[in-house]
Amino acid sequence: MIELFHIWKQYQKPYWALSDVTLQINDGDFYFITGPSGSGKTTLLKTIFREILPTEGQILINGINILKVRDSRIYTLRRTMGLVFQDFRLMFHRTVFDNVAVPLQVIGVGRKEIRRRVFATLQKVNLHQKMWELPGRLSYGEQQRVAIARAVVNNPEIILADEPTGNLDPELAFEIITLFKEISKQGATVIIGSHDRELIRHFGDNILFLQKGKIVGKEAHR
Amino acid sequence: MIEKVKFFFRVTGNNLWQFRTRNLFSVTIICLSFLTVGIFVSLTNNLRDATRDLASNMSIAFYLDAKLPAGAVEAVRQEIARPAFVESVKLVSADEALERFRLNFPELADVVAGLKANPFPPALEVRVNAKASASKEVVAFVEGMKKRPGVTDVLFNQDWVEKMQGFSRLAGAIGAFLGGILILTSFFIISNVVKLNVFARRNEIEILRLVGGTNLFIRIPFWLEGITLGLLGSLLSLGLLFIVIQLFPVYLGASLGALQELLRFRYPDLTQAVALLVGGAATGFIGSATSVSKFLKV
Repeated sequence: MIELFHIWKQYQKPYWALSDVTLQINDGDFYFITGPSGSGKTTLLKTIFREILPTEGQILINGINILKVRDSRIYTLRRTMGLVFQDFRLMFHRTVFDNVAVPLQVIGVGRKEIRRRVFATLQKVNLHQKMWELPGRLSYGEQQRVAIARAVVNNPEIILADEPTGNLDPELAFEIITLFKEISKQGATVIIGSHDRELIRHFGDNILFLQKGKIVGKEAHR
Repeated sequence: MIEKVKFFFRVTGNNLWQFRTRNLFSVTIICLSFLTVGIFVSLTNNLRDATRDLASNMSIAFYLDAKLPAGAVEAVRQEIARPAFVESVKLVSADEALERFRLNFPELADVVAGLKANPFPPALEVRVNAKASASKEVVAFVEGMKKRPGVTDVLFNQDWVEKMQGFSRLAGAIGAFLGGILILTSFFIISNVVKLNVFARRNEIEILRLVGGTNLFIRIPFWLEGITLGLLGSLLSLGLLFIVIQLFPVYLGASLGALQELLRFRYPDLTQAVALLVGGAATGFIGSATSVSKFLKV
């Protein structure tokens, strides 16, 4: 469970990127955070991921206050999460296999097990036949699927995706969110930051509306 | 543990191969920098050895009274041989001195043939060890011997010895100073080349950090790459240095004339060769270690 208590974040005075955000996301939830550009979607996701620290407030993940975790131990938190970015953030000099294998390599999984799990994950995103290709030779949609495979390969409890369909055409975007939905059904908590109303209307179980850093609405359709 | 070590070496090998053009550039820069240092070391070695040889070859000649009986000559010889700095004492008789002159100046054979008596006095030739060749101790000894009965004259070019020793010291100091600057410059060039290499891969570091890689996990392959590039560059520079040393006399040696002796290359000794390799590895390591740290903020 992810719990945010009165989160405030200020990059520059007098503007608040997040204003008194209090939120509870249960295990296995499929969550959309939406709002116009500059509403604080990315800041909120980065705060949950502890890439940035809030100016005020507390964040608990499974009861652990992540703001109290020492910088040198932050990797333990990140290993429980999978991240997907709008710009994919792939290593373009490494093969699809190597990109997806990275989260397993950092936790010291053996070579055989890595091969098995990477292959199985790439099968899920239908990229197993392009396992030895370099990402630069794949389409944008395929590159995003590589990024998703990397995010889910070590079965994280939480998946955070910041505008994962921002660079994709509507058809591909639909395909990618369907993939996230399937992952969510297997038990992971999925939180997606997006301003694509069409997708949100179609897939959104839980929707959080942000504006100027404040929660201005919540919807639950489950 | 072995599996992890293998993993890091595999990743390092892959990275070296995947960025081969950039790495080749780094190795070339490292190699050229160390080759410059190596050539300098080689020339300094020669200059140092040459001046040391010249200084240590200095000898002192004590000319004796021609009428001095054999027992008295032996007494003088024993007295001269006593100080610790004396390496050897050789008696050159009047006949031997004449023979030497004849051999050294064959064009004056007519003059020698016309001599009614041998004009050369017997002498004791003394060689002192290099360290003491112009010390106060030797000077005092020579001054003392000049006054000794039976010794008619002393040939001791103190100024020359002092100049050679001064030149040797100056060569060493200039060598150390210029060598230091050269090594420091090479270090900055190499370190910046490695930094550029790491900077070009900051995206990879960022990804490894975001998927939960520990700082050590991210750093190790970069360290290994830095060390490998440094070692390869310095090893290559040693190989090129040996080629330069072999080819230099063939192509340029003769044209240098009198300078040939001073500009002769000498092979670096084992310590210098190892220092060059260790220096290469250390530069590569420090260059990559400092630059990776910049991208490892949480």
